[in-house]
Amino acid sequence: MKAVRRPRGDSTVAGSREQETKRRGITLCGQGLVFYLLVLSGSLVAADGNRSEKFFEATANPRITVTNLTGQILVRGWDKTQVHVVYTVMSPYVELDSEAIPPNGPADKIHFATHVLDPLVAGKDQTADYSLDVPMGSNLEIRNPQGSVRIEKLQGDDTSVESVGGAIFVSDFTGHLFVRSVGGNIDVVRASGRVEAYSITGALHFVSPTTSKLRGSTTSGRIFFEGDFQDGGDYSLSAYSGDMDILCPRSASFELNAKTVRGKLQNEMPMTIRHRPATPLSSANSLFGTHLTGKATVNLKSFSGAIRVRQR
Amino acid sequence: MKETRHDRSPACYQFELELQAFMEGENRPFVAAHTRECTFCSVVVEDLEALRSAALAMPLEEPSPAVWSNISAQLVAEGEFSGRASFWDWFGQLDFLRRPVPVAAFACLFILGCLVTAPRTYLEQNAASGLSASPARTALRSMGFIGDSGALEHVVQELEESFREREGSLAPELKATYENSLNSLDVSIRECSDSLKREPDNSLAHEYLLTAYSQKAEVLSSALEFDEGR
Repeated sequence: MKAVRRPRGDSTVAGSREQETKRRGITLCGQGLVFYLLVLSGSLVAADGNRSEKFFEATANPRITVTNLTGQILVRGWDKTQVHVVYTVMSPYVELDSEAIPPNGPADKIHFATHVLDPLVAGKDQTADYSLDVPMGSNLEIRNPQGSVRIEKLQGDDTSVESVGGAIFVSDFTGHLFVRSVGGNIDVVRASGRVEAYSITGALHFVSPTTSKLRGSTTSGRIFFEGDFQDGGDYSLSAYSGDMDILCPRSASFELNAKTVRGKLQNEMPMTIRHRPATPLSSANSLFGTHLTGKATVNLKSFSGAIRVRQR
Repeated sequence: MKETRHDRSPACYQFELELQAFMEGENRPFVAAHTRECTFCSVVVEDLEALRSAALAMPLEEPSPAVWSNISAQLVAEGEFSGRASFWDWFGQLDFLRRPVPVAAFACLFILGCLVTAPRTYLEQNAASGLSASPARTALRSMGFIGDSGALEHVVQELEESFREREGSLAPELKATYENSLNSLDVSIRECSDSLKREPDNSLAHEYLLTAYSQKAEVLSSALEFDEGR
């Protein structure tokens, strides 16, 4: 078999074809890049078009309500007597109303409400995200059934947060806090004052609280408490089937009343056991005693979940 | 509990317009006359009167913040921000005549809430004063005027029926959350009931049973309110 050598002219044609192909490729890539950048910038512009921002002059302790359906709500306290809200809606079928009372001058009350304009809209199209900076002394009332709520650094008298499936996270809070989420977890970090947290299937986490009164209840979620008990404080935690873990320092002074119907009760803190009138619960499932001088009152109860009291 | 259809005459609409003032004590002869002619509207008035009488007969208890926040959230959802509306204005905003099921559910919950919170307060006072008390037994005893715990179960059952009728309109994620919670509460109700059959004097099981029913009513009411607010 003989090797057939191509004529020189054919080689030149093939080379120019290759160059042409490369040129076309580069051109296509360039066009693709330009198209991609256009689409990207268009998306950014569109996204920015759904984002709005407002400022309200307010008193030092305004009452602020937020009623949303789904999305994230973030509220942070700041040292200004202004409310700054940034909100983003995910579709044109959602709009946000805001109202300041009184309409002129520093507002005592500010209400934010999300409205879904088309009842047929569902899922992510109903989403509205809020980010609020509010005076530290603000009182909040937040309802966000399908979304999460996060609150940071507030010192108001009264705050309530409710969700159905969303998680609730509150940190560095002073005052009366009422939080409830049917199915979401609740985290309360460094709270002082009075705290009430309720869930059905969600877990409750209390970390480093300095609360004088704490109430926590969940049906199937876990409860985790990590911190000291305040002198004279009153702590009451209840779970049905979820386990409960209490971690406290050795220096904590508290009176403990723990009882469970079917769960295990484990206590690692040295206690002076006190006797109570006989109850139908066996002594293995209940414990009543004091650690140190018993300054705080701690009530723990469960039906089938374990209760563990441990030293931090 | 089923919603009944009612063909409303122009007189019924006039009745609706005047009902609020009538319930607030104003002299509205038309309302009185219309209730004599229209069975549906007369039942509405009777229900409202019964609710008012029941509310007046109840001891004054400070509702929990949850109650206030629910009412307030409902007002916000209805677009009423000023907080200056009267009680009957608020009822009017709920448009209850056209959708009586959630109102009935709310009423059931309100009665249930009073039943459950009243004995707790009593118990807390007893505990503070050093008296020993069986929480659940005291709570259940205090429910004597509505019968026994079967009545409580009945209230919850009615709420659940309403929920089942309307659950289809809930968003899937929301429905799943409610279902999970209700399942969890059903398990606790079942287990507590079984436990009480074996140990009828187990106060903690009594307490958990009562709490589970109360929570179930709250969850159902929340779902019905949510469905209504959409």
